[in-house]
Amino acid sequence: MGTKDDIERVLRRRGREVALVGVTLALVVVLGILQPRFVHLENLRFMLLGSVVLSLVALGQTFVIAMRGIDLSVAPLLGLSAMVCGLLAQSQGLPLWIAFALSLGIGVVLGAFNGLLVSALSIPPIVVTLGTYSIYSGFIFIYSQGTQVFSIPAAYGHLGNGYLVPWLPIPIPVLVLLVVLALCSFLLGYTRFGRALLAVGNNDAAAYNAGIPVGGIRIAVYALSGMLASFAGLMFLCYTGSATVTAGTGDHIELQSIAVALVGGTPINGGRGNLIGTVLGSLFLSVVLTALVFLRVPAIWYSAGEGLMILATVQAGLRRHRARDAEAVA
Amino acid sequence: MSFAQWAASPGPGVGGHEGRIYRACNIGKRFGPVTVLRDVDATLRAGRVLTIMGENGAGKSTLFKILAGQLRPTSGHIELDGQELSLGAPSAAHAHGIYLVPQEPMLMPELSVAEMMFVGHMPTSGRFLKRVDWRAIRSRARAVLDALELDIGIDRPAKTLSIAQLQLVECAKALLHECRVILFDEPTSPLTAHEVETLFGIMRRLAGDGYTLSFISHRTEEVMEISDDIVVLRDGRMVGAAERGAFDRASLLSLMVGRELRTVSRRTKSHVTQELALSVKGLTHEPSFRDVDFSLRRGEILGLAGLIGAGRTEIAETIFGLRQVDRGTVKLGNTDITGVPSHDLIRRGVAYVPEDRGRHGAVLPMTITENITSSRMERVRQTAGLMSRGHETEIGAKAVRDFRIRCAGLDQTLLELSGGNQQKVVFAKWISTEPRLVILDEPTRGVDVGAKEEIYELIDRMAASGTAVVVISSESEELVRLCDRVLCIYEGRIVAELAGEEITPQSVTASYVGGSQARDAEFEKAGA
Repeated sequence: MGTKDDIERVLRRRGREVALVGVTLALVVVLGILQPRFVHLENLRFMLLGSVVLSLVALGQTFVIAMRGIDLSVAPLLGLSAMVCGLLAQSQGLPLWIAFALSLGIGVVLGAFNGLLVSALSIPPIVVTLGTYSIYSGFIFIYSQGTQVFSIPAAYGHLGNGYLVPWLPIPIPVLVLLVVLALCSFLLGYTRFGRALLAVGNNDAAAYNAGIPVGGIRIAVYALSGMLASFAGLMFLCYTGSATVTAGTGDHIELQSIAVALVGGTPINGGRGNLIGTVLGSLFLSVVLTALVFLRVPAIWYSAGEGLMILATVQAGLRRHRARDAEAVA
Repeated sequence: MSFAQWAASPGPGVGGHEGRIYRACNIGKRFGPVTVLRDVDATLRAGRVLTIMGENGAGKSTLFKILAGQLRPTSGHIELDGQELSLGAPSAAHAHGIYLVPQEPMLMPELSVAEMMFVGHMPTSGRFLKRVDWRAIRSRARAVLDALELDIGIDRPAKTLSIAQLQLVECAKALLHECRVILFDEPTSPLTAHEVETLFGIMRRLAGDGYTLSFISHRTEEVMEISDDIVVLRDGRMVGAAERGAFDRASLLSLMVGRELRTVSRRTKSHVTQELALSVKGLTHEPSFRDVDFSLRRGEILGLAGLIGAGRTEIAETIFGLRQVDRGTVKLGNTDITGVPSHDLIRRGVAYVPEDRGRHGAVLPMTITENITSSRMERVRQTAGLMSRGHETEIGAKAVRDFRIRCAGLDQTLLELSGGNQQKVVFAKWISTEPRLVILDEPTRGVDVGAKEEIYELIDRMAASGTAVVVISSESEELVRLCDRVLCIYEGRIVAELAGEEITPQSVTASYVGGSQARDAEFEKAGA
């Protein structure tokens, strides 16, 4: 009796997460039956690791969308951070901790620049970040002069692929993601900054009337998104051991990050943010893309398949949400 | 407030100021060339309800916005307990314990009721990591709602609340932030009679507890019921201020409408013909209006009077094919045009000039000429499918002369014109199509007094040329000045029809104020 009520409550409040876990698990089980190699430990690890970089970017994107903004510049920020840290590490053996600080710094400064344009000049965020997308992409070319990163110090590789201690079979990037997710959840749910950005996403005029410094919040949120994208660039560098001028932009990670945030239950009109949903959405996308490979779907179909999957999940989530609102009114 | 100051501030609630006196002294406010308020004085006292009364456009809301820090006065000042205040933002008013409950509260749709009450002022706990204290938020929200005896779940998403509930939550917010001065901007117009009673009950209790309250209304009955003091505004001037006992309903009404001023300027000549232009039967669009019947002859000017939200605009939009018809028929002459889309109606000689000129009346960033010719591009001479710029300019120049549009040149955009001249361009555009039926929604909204008269003349000229005209207006004087007949709409129904000499400012206003009394009586009957 009590447990049944508990289950109902969890389903009502965490329905999106439960559904995403369920669909992802079902996909893994079905694929495992069709192709036993799919559930091989190495493949599971591959899918998990494959979702970390996207998750980090998408967490930042979730903050921006929850504030009723959008950030397209995350892709070149990822690439720029990977390129800058990678080239310095390759040629001068940049210590890892400096690379850390450097990538975060790049992201905060360039992200805050986005926020400044959005709030001080009142340019719509999609226009601002479309512009800075090209500008930051340009920085990658200017900095790299056409060279690329092909070898990185061992410490970097360990961060991207290794394990913290032998008895814990979880790769370091996954642990990093879990820590970032916890920090982000605290930030969104339990700080005045987090609640203020949701207020701005709900109704910026009303938020202003309530005494919230809307402009400052906007700048901080874009800085946060830039920081996470840029940090994702460092993780990408460590994981793949390489960086090219098209890292990030080539995979359209800006669009993927928006898509998984929506799949995870954050509405495109803002006002709410579901961070766990975003991470589960990234994992789901990683599993779907790997499944397409295992199902021998020709590669030319991947992009179309990915898009269909995104539309289907977002649509299913919307219907559920509308039904729940109708119920609450009645 | 800077971002850093905001992040460090402990939260709201100056609190502890018992019995505040809040005064507006010689307040004047101008928007560009338009004067909205002139030398208005009002004193709000602790434990009392001050009502600001007036017709639509009398300046009531502007006064409230100034008191709440949303607008700065052009002249005069405000004082709290004898201290002059300068409020730069609504948050500054909150910090002084002054709270405005808006007519239609701004919604934060995705937030819970509890969170919405604390937006911008989240209490935090913890020494090192300041975290939002959800337990305090929930218990304090619950406590305030309980104190007001409001049965609203604190975890409900805000988008599921009714307007009445949102207003009451706003009122609870004022208490939560320990605001002792609470301003209610015309709270009763979107409410049902029962909801009004709930609100008044709460206002009385707050006044009993020594809160300083003020309230906007144009319903005399309500005003007599709830007020201790009354200030009456007309055209931005104070025309009456005293304790309630000094007024009765009739005197309030005549002050609000302005007896002396309004007996003049009736139309001298009517152009009504025998030819039927429009007939509407049983027209219904739930929930806005139902069973609307009327007819209109060529050359006739018909007014639709009523409160904002009575359903007048919705009737016009439905006739013009912008809204779906639930029931009923609309005939243009002898042709049934029920449900015909608007672009088709324009071709058949129907024109609709909406209240919000920017929405679909005028294209503000386009030039005067382009606006005038946009309704009938095919009238511009063409060569091989290309419009003749010269001929287009000629048409524009003629309109500017005919309609006395004041502008620096034909290629000025409408953005650069005053409200009155923008409206003249819109009229020129439609009149040039020689329409059979014109519907004008608030034709002089945002137009200064001088230009108003010119617009009235234009409307009269349209009627003289045989056009049937429907005028929606919230200014009773305007309807008296223009109309052959006036229909009074109350909550989606026609409650009265006035013709010829019967149309006076008093009769028009009384008819829709009377509508509210009829409804209240109905409610009392149902309750008893």
